Amino acid sequence: MTAYLINLATLATIFGILAASLNVLIGYAGIFSIAHAVFFGLGAYAGAQLALQFIPDVLLACLAGGAISAALSLCLALPALRVRGEYFVAASLGLQMMAVTVFSEAHSLTGGHGGLVGIPPATLFGADVSAPAPFLGFALAVLAVLLLAVRLLMRGSFGRALMAIRDSESAAEAFGKDVRALKTLAVALGCAMAGVAGALFAFYMAFVNVESFTLEQSILVMAMVIIGGTATLAGPLLGVLLLLLLPAGLSFLPFIPPTQIGAVQQLIYGLAMTLLMIFRPAGIAGGRR
Amino acid sequence: MGVPFSIRGLDKKFGGLAAVQNVDLDLQEGVTTALVGPNGAGKTTLFNLATGHIIPDGGEVLLDGKSVLGQPPHHIARLGVARSFQDLRLFGRMSVRDNVRAAIEPTAWLWQPGGGVAARKREAAVDAALDRCGLTQQADARAVDLAYAERKFLSVARILATGARIWLLDEPASGLDPHSRARFVQLVRDAVAEGVTICLIEHNLDIVTELADRIAFLDRGAKLAEGAPQEILRDPKLIGIYFGEQRT
Ligand SMILES: Nc1ncnc2c1ncn2[C@@H]1O[C@H](COP(=O)(O)OP(=O)(O)OP(=O)(O)O)[C@@H](O)[C@H]1O
Ligand SMILES: [Mg+2]
Repeated sequence: MTAYLINLATLATIFGILAASLNVLIGYAGIFSIAHAVFFGLGAYAGAQLALQFIPDVLLACLAGGAISAALSLCLALPALRVRGEYFVAASLGLQMMAVTVFSEAHSLTGGHGGLVGIPPATLFGADVSAPAPFLGFALAVLAVLLLAVRLLMRGSFGRALMAIRDSESAAEAFGKDVRALKTLAVALGCAMAGVAGALFAFYMAFVNVESFTLEQSILVMAMVIIGGTATLAGPLLGVLLLLLLPAGLSFLPFIPPTQIGAVQQLIYGLAMTLLMIFRPAGIAGGRR
Repeated sequence: MGVPFSIRGLDKKFGGLAAVQNVDLDLQEGVTTALVGPNGAGKTTLFNLATGHIIPDGGEVLLDGKSVLGQPPHHIARLGVARSFQDLRLFGRMSVRDNVRAAIEPTAWLWQPGGGVAARKREAAVDAALDRCGLTQQADARAVDLAYAERKFLSVARILATGARIWLLDEPASGLDPHSRARFVQLVRDAVAEGVTICLIEHNLDIVTELADRIAFLDRGAKLAEGAPQEILRDPKLIGIYFGEQRT
């Protein structure tokens, strides 16, 4: 039971980082990307390859995952600079679809459909941290550091400039904001954090394959952010807890036959999302809109 | 007397429509110029061309005699040109105070140039702008939650706090009640007294008479006349166009 809870907590921590990273894009910069699982995946593959080929240091893997995702975030920044609203959503969908194909086909890098297996246990400066408890501790520390960084950045002039762009791009420009640079940086920051989450995920699962980086995953993370509340620190975390714990909780309910859990889950998510957007469009933590 | 801002032969077509045709305009230092003309005359487009939001088909935009043509809006803004928008474009989900802060902060990751001293100066500028615009009580309210007149004043507060020396105001007083209008007129007069050069698009001829030293009259993209308010407002032909008598 404890092992189960620690496992769940670790998964929630990793998704907490992922949701917080998407919140930088959606909540603060107003960039509605549905390709976020791509950058989660890039970080996971990068971390896994580092561990398999060189050294299974989880901190190095996080840095490598973050760096790869930040570098390739230009693929998302480019459309974000050119189009907005539903056009950008469509563009990011295209990126998501391309990435899944690349992930499935680039055998030498991603292991193709089979994925990368046998990722060695995580170490940190040579010490083994692969046991559930220390690994959870490390993941929590990463989450705390990243949340603190997001808080500092978003409460400062960088965050205000991003939110200004989100609310009116042309007015932000008229007050001297370099929209292209700011959006590019915001996308790089959000994607880098997603890459860090991906590297942690690779060690947590001990294998990675394309199934974890599909459109469905992107939509799940977006649902976490929107249900929890955009542009708040707590919102995405709340969304993660709800959407991860709900399935876990449902499996304890005796009157739902196990075969029906999936369907019941989908119904509850869908209903919750619809009701929330009607009655509390800024999300659970978002207050009034 | 200098001419900090000057437009030469500016042209802009939208498809087949000549929105701005060969317009010259000089904004003289410390002089308030009103841009007057019927709906669709090209007034807002002229502002958009001047601030780099739209690239002109031809002509020149000069700041202190140097061309800024083709420069992006944020470059032109950093040279001391501030503008308002006809539809305000407030930062809706941000607080009133953060709207003004965001307008005046140079962007940086964490640390602003100038450190604590500059930060206190900026906060003082924000406070002063909010006070002069009557928004101190609403400082923590979100921009979208403000009443109409308050929203209009917030759009002015953002500009005021920047300390810009050239203001381009697009119908800042439209729809204001008499009390707010008087406050607005006072705000503009104070700014002019502090040396700000203002160009103002305004339909209300009372406000134009109260504030403008010069009027430029625009119709169908072309500047038909420019001069002192008495001259322009007494010209029966222009007044006829303005009130739509001679439109076909
Ligand atoms: N981005 C655009 N694309 C196409 N046409 C435009 C665009 N902006 C303005 N126009 C057209 O150019 C003409 C001039 O518009 P503009 O907004 O400059 O007029 P205005 O003088 O500000 O009018 P108003 O007093 O109604 O604000 C109008 O016919 C308008 O429809
Ligand atoms: Mg207009």
